[in-house]
Amino acid sequence: MNNQLKVLRAMRNWSQAELADRLDVSRQAVNAIETGKYDPSLPLAFKLARLFAMPIEEIFDDGHEGHDDGH
Amino acid sequence: MAMKDMTMDIDPKPRRAPSMWVPVAIGLGTAMLAGGFAGYNQSATESGEAAIAPWVGPLFAVALGGIALALYVRRHADSFRSWSPRKRLYWISVILSGALGFVTALVLQTGPQGADGLLSNSAMTPNIAIGLSLLWIVGLIVALFLYHRTIDDHERRAYHLGALAGFYAFVMPCPVWWVLWRADLAPPVDAMQLFALSLIVNGIVYFWFKFR
Repeated sequence: MNNQLKVLRAMRNWSQAELADRLDVSRQAVNAIETGKYDPSLPLAFKLARLFAMPIEEIFDDGHEGHDDGH
Repeated sequence: MAMKDMTMDIDPKPRRAPSMWVPVAIGLGTAMLAGGFAGYNQSATESGEAAIAPWVGPLFAVALGGIALALYVRRHADSFRSWSPRKRLYWISVILSGALGFVTALVLQTGPQGADGLLSNSAMTPNIAIGLSLLWIVGLIVALFLYHRTIDDHERRAYHLGALAGFYAFVMPCPVWWVLWRADLAPPVDAMQLFALSLIVNGIVYFWFKFR
């Protein structure tokens, strides 16, 4: 899953360690999410969305275009 | 002095966050020092010279390691105070687990059974056996309770994958070894060798998913 975490972090001039402290996770967790090696859990994704004041889908992109209408 | 103070005011340098590799290095150094004493004693015994008491080396190494650790904690006291309760408890659980393993290894190596190796099946006094069993069970329950309450999602995943790999490293070779032994094609099954294999595989997979 692609994400904008690195860009959002850079815009705020935060290091990975600073972002990790704000999320109360390890620096390795931030690095793994940024590099796409790990997809965060839903609670952590919500935490990120609240921290950056953005909807989750603007931070994370699963590669699917448009909306799924359930059909 | 005045010039130095002025420079510091203009260009304040933030103190670096404490590196968690330092306590790991201190632990390894302590273990190596204790091992050095054990090696000295072994070679002294083999050559017929007087060996120092088996508890002196480990005690000296632990005391030195303790002093180094205390200095490290004191130097970074402000950083440690700013940690979240989760992070603090996490490191307490990790250090407690490491200390348990270290003390267990130390006791196993310093007794008369130590010369046969850490995972040998040589005889042991009941007091040491009961003491180590209690230390292992109670200590691990406390450390793991703290650990599982404080790890984040990413580490939980690494832990689970490592645990699964360790489980497979036990359940795959164990019955194979057992049936081969029954056919007289292999020596009797040694649980401690399988335990060690399981732990090594667990550690490799855990560290891979945690730090890759």
